[in-house]
Amino acid sequence: MMNSQPTPPAIEIRRLGKTFPSCKALDDVNLTVATGEMVALIGASGSGKSTLLRHIAGFVAADAGEIAVLDRVVQQDGSIAPDIRALRAQIGFVFQQFNLVNRLPVVTNVLVGLLYRVPVWRSLLMRFTVSERQRALEALAAVGIEKFAWQRAATLSGGQQQRAALARCLVQEAKVILADEPIASLDPESARNVMELLAQMNRERGCTVVVSLHQVEFAIKYCRRTVALHRGRVVYDGPSAALTPQLLGELYGADAEELFGMMLDSPALKIPADKGMAPLLAA
Amino acid sequence: MATVPSVQEVSLRPPPAGIGATLAWGVFFLVLIWSWQGADMRPFDLLKDSDNMRVFAREFFPPDFHEWRIYLEEMVVTVHIAIWGTVLAIVCAIPCGLMSAENLAPVWVYQPMRRLMDACRAINEMVFAMLFIVAVGLGPFAGVLALWVHTTGVLAKLFAEAVEAIDPRPVEGVRATGANALEEILYGVIPQVLPLWISYSLYRFESNVRSASVLGIVGAGGIGVVLHEVIRGFEYAQTAAVLIIIIVSVTLIDLVSARIRQWAI
Repeated sequence: MMNSQPTPPAIEIRRLGKTFPSCKALDDVNLTVATGEMVALIGASGSGKSTLLRHIAGFVAADAGEIAVLDRVVQQDGSIAPDIRALRAQIGFVFQQFNLVNRLPVVTNVLVGLLYRVPVWRSLLMRFTVSERQRALEALAAVGIEKFAWQRAATLSGGQQQRAALARCLVQEAKVILADEPIASLDPESARNVMELLAQMNRERGCTVVVSLHQVEFAIKYCRRTVALHRGRVVYDGPSAALTPQLLGELYGADAEELFGMMLDSPALKIPADKGMAPLLAA
Repeated sequence: MATVPSVQEVSLRPPPAGIGATLAWGVFFLVLIWSWQGADMRPFDLLKDSDNMRVFAREFFPPDFHEWRIYLEEMVVTVHIAIWGTVLAIVCAIPCGLMSAENLAPVWVYQPMRRLMDACRAINEMVFAMLFIVAVGLGPFAGVLALWVHTTGVLAKLFAEAVEAIDPRPVEGVRATGANALEEILYGVIPQVLPLWISYSLYRFESNVRSASVLGIVGAGGIGVVLHEVIRGFEYAQTAAVLIIIIVSVTLIDLVSARIRQWAI
C-alpha cells in the first residue's frame, strides 16, 4: 500500500513555527499525515494542539514554515493562500465548543456545510433546494439526530450538538477532518459516541482524521498513530500502542499526572468496545 | 488562641472615601452653581406668579374635542411618518452598522463610517426637518427624511455595538466550511444579533412617534402642525385635546411594541 503509488499525503507540515507574545506556541513542527489515517494529537493544556489545528485550517498565519493539505498550499512563510476558501470547503473542522449558530435550526447549521458549493445569490437569500435539504437530513440521520432537524441548535445537548457538527462535515464531503478537543466538553457516553462516529467516517468514507485529545486512553483506543506535543514541539510520533505510562511520564515529566491519571488507574486497552454503535453511519 | 483567625483584625468600618470622591462631589456642586445663572433659574417666580399659573392651567379644561376627527387624522399621519422614517433607517443602519463594527470591518472602513454616523446622530431631527423642508417643501415627506437620517445614525451605532458583543466561535464555525465574508455575516453574525436589533428598532420606532409629533412645529407634517396652530392661537382647550390624543397614542404604541418585542425575541 505504501509503495504501490506515491499518493500525496493528506497533510504535510514543514518547519512550522509560531510565537505568541507570551510563549512559543509552535516550534519547528514537521508532520506528515497520509490519506486515510486517523491520528491522535495529544498533549497537556497549552502544548499547542489547538494552535496547530487552527494553522492547518488556515485560521491563523504562522511566523514561518509551510502547510499543504490535499497537495495544495494552505499557508507558506506566514501568508495564507488566497484560495483558502476552496480548501476549507474540503476540510471539516470540529470544535470543542461545537461552534454551531444557536438560534438557527439544526438543519440550517448542517446546510452551512454546503455554502461553498451553493451559488452565492442563493446562499445570501438562504434558499436551499429540496435535494440539498435532503442531503442535510440524511447526514443528520447518519449521526442519529434527524428528529431534531428543525429545532434551534441551542435546544440540543452537548453531545447532540457535536453530532450536528459532524453532520456538517458529512454534507461538506470533507476529505480531511480536523477535530479540536471534540470530546473535551462532553460526558463519557457522548464522548464515546462522537469518537465512534469519527472512526466510522475514517473507516467508511476514507476521511483523514486528525483529532486532538486530552485523554490518552481515547487516543489508544481509536487511533493507530499518536503525535504528542509538548511546549509546541513534536515529542512523540508513532504507534499509539507503543505509548506506555513510562514513556508518557518521560515525555511529559511533571505534567504526566494531569494527562494520564485516568489511564494509570484503568489501562485504556481494557475499556470494553461499544456495542450497538457501529451501524449508525452504515445506513 | 493566636492560631484562630480573628475577625477583630478586620475593621468593621468600610475604608474612608478617598480624596477623589470628595473632589468629584465638589466639582459637581461647583458646576451646578455655575450653571444657575446661565439657565436663568428663578424658582421663586413660580410661587410669585402662582395665581397666573392657576388661571392659565384652568383654561386647558375642559379639553375641546370638537375637531377630534382632524386631530386623529393628523395623529395617524404622524405614525405614518414615524413608520417610514424608521423603516428606511433600519434598511440603511444594517450595512452602516456592520461597517461600523470593529470586529467585522477594517479600521479604514469603520472609522470614517462611525464619524459619518456620529454626524447623523449629532444633529437633531428638528434641524434636519427644517433643512429638508427647504429641499422637498413643507409636509410629511420632509419629516420622514429627517427621521430617516437621524435614526440611521442612532441605529447604526446600536447595531454595531450588538455586533461587537457577539460570540466569535459560531462565526468561525461558518468560516471553517469555506464560506465567504457575506455568508459568515448572514449565517454567523445576524442570527446572534437579531433579537437585539429587533428590540432597538422597535424602541426607535416608539421614540420616532414622539419625535414626529413635534416635527410639525417646523412644518414637517403631522399632529405637530395642529399643535403649533392651537398653541399660537391661544386655544388652550383644544391644545389639551391634542395633547391627550398624543399621550394616548404614544402609550398605545409603546404597549403594542413591547408586546411585539416579547414575542419576537
